[in-house]
Amino acid sequence: MSDNTYHKVGRRPWEWKLKPIGTDERPRLRLPGTRRHWLKWRDVHNPKTLRRERVLADKMPLWWTLGLGFVAIITPFMPNSMISVMSIFCIYAAINVLWTLIVGTAGIFSLATLAVVGASGYVAAAANVYLGVPWPFMLIIGPIVGFLFGAILAAPSTRLDGLYYALLTMGVAEICRVFVVQLRALTQTNGAITQVDSFIPEAWFLQRPGLLLGFAGAFLLLLGALLVWRLVNSERLGMLLRVARTSREDEAFAEAIGIDFRRARLMVFVISSAALGVVGAFYTMYYRSISPTIFSLDQLLLLFAMMVIGGLGRAEGAVVGAAIVTMIDKGLVELGPPRIILVAFIMIGVTIFAREGLTGARHQFRDYRKRKSGERRARRTEKGGEAMPEEATEVHDKQELYYRRFNKRLRDRLKTLITPELIEEHKRDPLGHHSDALARVLNYFRRAEMADKYVIHRMIPTEERFRIMAVSGVRGLPPRVVDDREYTDINDAYHAVFLLRVNDLLES
Amino acid sequence: MDLGLIVYALNLASIYALMAIGISILWSSVGIINMAHGATFAISGYAAWLVTGALKPVIAAAFGKTALASMVMAGALVGSAIVAGALCGVIIYLLAFLPIHDKPNYPVRALIITLGLNIATVQGLLWTFGPRNQGLPKIFGFGRWEVFGTRIRYDQAGTIIGAIIVLGLTLAWLRYSRRGLEIRAMMQNAEGAAYSGISRQITALPVLMLTGALAGMAAALLSQTIFVSPTSGVIPLVKGLTIALLGGLGSVAGAVIGAILVGFLEAIVGAIPFLGQRYVLFATFLFIIAVLIVRPRGIGGLLDDTRE
Amino acid sequence: MPELLEIRQLSAGYGPLRVLHEIDLTVREGERIGLVGLNGHGKTTLIRALTHMTGWQQGSIKLDGAEIGGTRSLGAGRRTPGLVKRGIGVAPQGDAIFPGLSVRKHLECGAHTRLAWRERKQRIERVFDIFPPLRPLEHALVGKLSGGERRMVSIGRMLMTEARLYLIDEPSLGLAPKISQRVMAALWDLSVSGAMIIAEQNVTLLTGHADRVIGMHAGRMRGDVGHVELG
Repeated sequence: MSDNTYHKVGRRPWEWKLKPIGTDERPRLRLPGTRRHWLKWRDVHNPKTLRRERVLADKMPLWWTLGLGFVAIITPFMPNSMISVMSIFCIYAAINVLWTLIVGTAGIFSLATLAVVGASGYVAAAANVYLGVPWPFMLIIGPIVGFLFGAILAAPSTRLDGLYYALLTMGVAEICRVFVVQLRALTQTNGAITQVDSFIPEAWFLQRPGLLLGFAGAFLLLLGALLVWRLVNSERLGMLLRVARTSREDEAFAEAIGIDFRRARLMVFVISSAALGVVGAFYTMYYRSISPTIFSLDQLLLLFAMMVIGGLGRAEGAVVGAAIVTMIDKGLVELGPPRIILVAFIMIGVTIFAREGLTGARHQFRDYRKRKSGERRARRTEKGGEAMPEEATEVHDKQELYYRRFNKRLRDRLKTLITPELIEEHKRDPLGHHSDALARVLNYFRRAEMADKYVIHRMIPTEERFRIMAVSGVRGLPPRVVDDREYTDINDAYHAVFLLRVNDLLES
Repeated sequence: MDLGLIVYALNLASIYALMAIGISILWSSVGIINMAHGATFAISGYAAWLVTGALKPVIAAAFGKTALASMVMAGALVGSAIVAGALCGVIIYLLAFLPIHDKPNYPVRALIITLGLNIATVQGLLWTFGPRNQGLPKIFGFGRWEVFGTRIRYDQAGTIIGAIIVLGLTLAWLRYSRRGLEIRAMMQNAEGAAYSGISRQITALPVLMLTGALAGMAAALLSQTIFVSPTSGVIPLVKGLTIALLGGLGSVAGAVIGAILVGFLEAIVGAIPFLGQRYVLFATFLFIIAVLIVRPRGIGGLLDDTRE
Repeated sequence: MPELLEIRQLSAGYGPLRVLHEIDLTVREGERIGLVGLNGHGKTTLIRALTHMTGWQQGSIKLDGAEIGGTRSLGAGRRTPGLVKRGIGVAPQGDAIFPGLSVRKHLECGAHTRLAWRERKQRIERVFDIFPPLRPLEHALVGKLSGGERRMVSIGRMLMTEARLYLIDEPSLGLAPKISQRVMAALWDLSVSGAMIIAEQNVTLLTGHADRVIGMHAGRMRGDVGHVELG
C-alpha cells in the first residue's frame, strides 16, 4: 500500500439529523394510556463536533403515514372503477399483512390464509342469510370462526416441517373448496352465498357513495391489520419470537433459556387467524356475496406473488406487493391474460435479483456494499500494531491508538538496528555493558507486555540445565515449554531468549 | 376387489410415480422444489399435440394405414414430449438454478421462481391455445384384452408397462451409472463432491433434463387417458408434490410406495358408490394429512427408521 | 528439480477477515512439505485457497506453470472441481465424506478422470492395500465408520486419481495417537509422482519424513521451524 492513497473511513451512512439548540429536554409525547412514544427519537453525541444531535431511529412510521395518507387522500377523486380497485388493494393488503404475521413473525409457512378468510366469510354469510343475524354481528362471528379454525390448523404446525405443513394447509384449502361446492343447499348458485346484508346500504351498492363507503371500510380494515401487526410485533409475544428467530438454527437454545416459542408461535397464528376472520366477514359484506373461488389455488398464488414481490416477512413488503399486483391485475384488465404473465415475470425477476423482495433491496444493497468494503479493507490490511481506520473509529480510548502507533514506529526503528554484529555482541556478553543500539533493543524487550516474555527454567535446582519457557500472560495459566532444547550454560540460555525476542520483533 | 380396479389403480399409480419421482430426485440432488413440474407436463403435452398434428399427413402419406404408421406415430408423440420436457428442464436450469444456486435463501427462491414459471406457462398456454381440450392420437390403439373375465384397455396396459420401464431405467441409471453416482455424492456432501471433481453446475443440468423428460413421459402417457389443456398440469403437479412429500422428500422408494398407495386409494374411493369421483382429491388430502400427522417425515422417514 | 507449484503474494480471507498475508511458497516436484502452526493461523485457509474455497483471495498461484490463482471475491468453490481435475488431490479437514455411500462407491467417486474410472477396480485394490482395515468394510456405509476409518476413506478417495499436488489437511485431527501414526505412516509410504503438502499441528509426526517443514504464524510463513536462528 503506497503512502499517499487515502481510503474512505467509517461505516455510518448519511442520516438526516436534528440539531437541538441549548440543553432543553426533548419533549416526550406518549401514546395516551400507554408508556409508548409516537416516534423513536434518539439523542446521539457527535464525537467530531461534540454537539448533541437528534436522530429519528425508526423512520418507517413516516413512510407509512405518507403512503397511507396519499392513498386515503387521492382515492375519493378517482373514477368509480379505480375506487373499487383501491378497495380491493386495501383488502388484499390487509390479508397480506396478517399473512406476513404468520409467515414472518410466527415462522409458520401456512397456505391456509385464504381458507381461513373464506371459512369465516362463509359462516358469517350463512348466519346472516339463513339465521337472519344482522350485519354488525358478522364482524363478531367472523373472528370467532377464524379463531376456532386457526386453533385447529395450528395444532399440527409444531409437529410438521415447513414444506409439509405448507402442503397440509394447501390440502385444507382444497378440502374447504370441495366441501362448499358439494353442499346441497348451495348447488343452485355453484356454491356461492349471495344476498348478504352489508354495511353498504343496498341502494348504494355499486354506486359512487357505496363505493366510497366500501373504500373507507377497506381502508380502516387495512389500518386495523397494520395495528394488529404492530401490536403483536412490539409486545412481549413478538419480542420472544424475535429472540427465538435470531437462533432459528438452534430452536432448542431458545427453549433452553426459557422461551416457550412454540406457544408464542401458536399464539401469533391464532391471533392472526382471528383477524383474518374479520377480513373474511368484511370481504363477504363488501361483495355482498362469497363464492368458492376464494379457496382456489389461483387466488392463493396471486396473494403469494404479492408477498414475494414486496418481500416475504415484511409488512411494508406485503402492502407494496399488494399495490403492484393489484394495479396490474385489476387496473389493466383490458390487457387480458398477459397481465398474469407479467405478474409472474415480475415475480421471477425480483426473486432472481433480490434476496428479500423489493422492500429488502435497499438493505441488500447496503449489505453488499458493506461486504465489499470489508473485503477491500481486508485486502489492504497490514496487521502489526497500527489500528485500521475502521477499527480506530470503534476504539473508545484514543490514547490506545496513539500508543499503538508509537509502538509500531518504535518497532520499525528497532528492526533497522538489528544486525549480525549486534547479535554477535549479545552472544559474546549477554549481561555486560552494551553498545547504544543493543541497549535500546534490550530496553524495548524489558518493558514488553507479560504475554510476550520468555523465562529460563532451571530444570533441576542443583544442575546447570536450562529450558526456555514462554509466559502465558494469563493469570493462572502456567508457562509453556518453547522447545525441547536444553542449555548447560546460563549465558547460552540468555542468548537464546534474546534470539527468540528478536525473531518475534522481526515477525511483528 | 376386481382386476379392473387394480389395473385402474396401477394406471394412476404409474403416472403419479413418474411425476413424484421427478420432484423427489430434483429436491434431493439439486435442492429445488420444482413447482414448474406441472408446466413441463402441460408443455410436453402441447408439444406432442403439435408434432403429431404436423406429422399426421406426412406419416399417412409415407406408411399409409399400416401398423408401422402407428409405431412411428407413437415414437413421434413420446419423443416430442420427452424432448420438450427436457428443454423445459434446461429453462428451469437457466432461470431457477444457475443465477442463484450459491446465493442465500436458495431453496425458497428457487421454489418461488419455478412457481412463477408455472403461472406464466399456464397463462401463456391459455393465451396461445385457448382453454380448449386437445385430444392426442391413441398410440396404443383402442382395443381391449380379456384377462380373467375383465377387460383391460390397451392404453392402460401400455401406460403401466411404459411407466414401469421408464422408472426402472431411471432408477438403474441413478444406481449404477457414473453420473448417478456423482448425483448421489453431490446430494450428500457438496464440498466432498467438489473435491472429487464433481461440479454442481455441470451435474445439475442432466438432472433437470431427466426430471423434465420424466414429466414429458408422464404427459405422453396420460394423454392417452385424458385430454391436453393449459391447466392439465395443475392436478399432476399437486398430486406429484403431495406424493413426493408423502413419500418423504428425497426418498425414491418412498415416492413409489406413496404413488401406489394413493393410486389404489383413488381407485377405491372412485369406485365406492356414495363417494364417487368428486371426493377423490378430498380423500387423498385427508389420507396424506393423516399420514403426515402420524409420521411427520412421510414414508421415507419410516423406511429410514426400519433400516436403522 | 522443476518447480511444481509457485505461490506469489497470496492473500485470502473470509469477508472482512484476512487470514493469509502475502504468502510466497515454491514447491518442487517430489517434495513433501509439512505445514505446521497453531489453530487459526492459516494452514487450512492456505489449502482452501489453493482450491478456491475461501471467501476471497488474490495473488498468483502457478501449477506446472499455468496460472490458477487470481483475484476473486465471489463464488467460493465454483472453480474447485475444475482445479481438482487439473491435478490437485485434496483430503479436506473433516473428511467431507458421503455418509450414505458404501466405501467402494465412495472410492469410485474419487476416480474422476477417464483413465482412473476405467482402472477403478485395480485402484480400489491398491487403496485397500495401503489401508488394510478398509478391505472388510468394502460395503459398509461410510457414515457408520469410525473417525480413523473415515480419514482413511477420505485419503483413499484422494489417491484414486493421480494428482500433481496432494493437499492433506490435518490427517491426525481427532484421531487416537496410534491410529494417527498409522495414517501418517501410510502417507509417508506412498510413492507419488507429484508433491504433497500436509498441514499438521503435531510437529513430531512430520519430523524425519517431510522434506521441509514450514511454520505458519498469523497468516504468514515462518520459515523452517525448530531452529531459533536468524536469516
